[in-house]
Amino acid sequence: MNEPQGTSPGESPDPGRWLDDHGDYLFKYAVFRLRDNTAAEDAVQETFLAALKAYKQFEGRGSERTWLVGILKHKVVDHFRRAGREAPLGEESDEGPAHSEFFERPEPWQGHWNNDYAPNEWHATPAELIERSDFWKVFNDCLSPLPQRTASAFTLREVDGLKSEEICEILSIKVNNLWVMLHRARLHLRNCLELNWFRREE
Amino acid sequence: MAQKLYDKLKHSIRYWLLRKLPTCQQTVEKISQSMERSLSLRERINLKLHLWICAWCQWYMEHLHLIRETARAKPEPADFVSGPGLSNEARERIRRRLTNQN
Repeated sequence: MNEPQGTSPGESPDPGRWLDDHGDYLFKYAVFRLRDNTAAEDAVQETFLAALKAYKQFEGRGSERTWLVGILKHKVVDHFRRAGREAPLGEESDEGPAHSEFFERPEPWQGHWNNDYAPNEWHATPAELIERSDFWKVFNDCLSPLPQRTASAFTLREVDGLKSEEICEILSIKVNNLWVMLHRARLHLRNCLELNWFRREE
Repeated sequence: MAQKLYDKLKHSIRYWLLRKLPTCQQTVEKISQSMERSLSLRERINLKLHLWICAWCQWYMEHLHLIRETARAKPEPADFVSGPGLSNEARERIRRRLTNQN
């Protein structure tokens, strides 16, 4: 059994304290995924309102923060669903930059890596990178120039580890669109990380 | 002598393959798809051969996997987003809304 944290069972919920203790944490969790301050604020508010209603089921079991993040995850997905329905991906959709300049070369090597953009060896392991909070700032900044839906698809896939089918359903897109979005996000992010993190580290 | 001949042969094979196989631009798209679905036998063979002769695409694939592995290690949200978090204005708006609800 987990120790009850915060409010103990039987006590009435204290949403003001939730806001003080977890508001910033939840906001940052949401804004990284939604990439929109207003939408993130709304998601945090909806989370607390839902938490008030569902408080009886929680009753201080487990960590309060884990419980709230669990609710917030659903609110984030709800937001994507609404946005996907309201603005379906059109014919001339913007999936992100194709970066064909990365592969500009004189014939006969057109379509192969241009020396200026070709990958270099990275000397890093996930374990080292996770510890570096400045790495995550660069990571987040590198996602910023991408279209919102592309960045969100990438985050749902690579950070949250959702399956392709789930992401397609949430964002109301076809799997081919998703693959193009993920490919472009990866192409862009990899290059941006190399320029702004890995080359600077050397 | 034999080594020199072997190197020359290897170089020619690589050069020939690079002309025959899908380009790097096509290959990086396949690399991304290989993280989403299982590739057909033909796609797998083309990819393997391309990676055998192209260190750049090899690194590209390693980097995508490194990014995935690192991102899935669940960093704290505070690491991603700098700044204090909720604005005072938003905080007060949410506080009012929650008090009305109580």
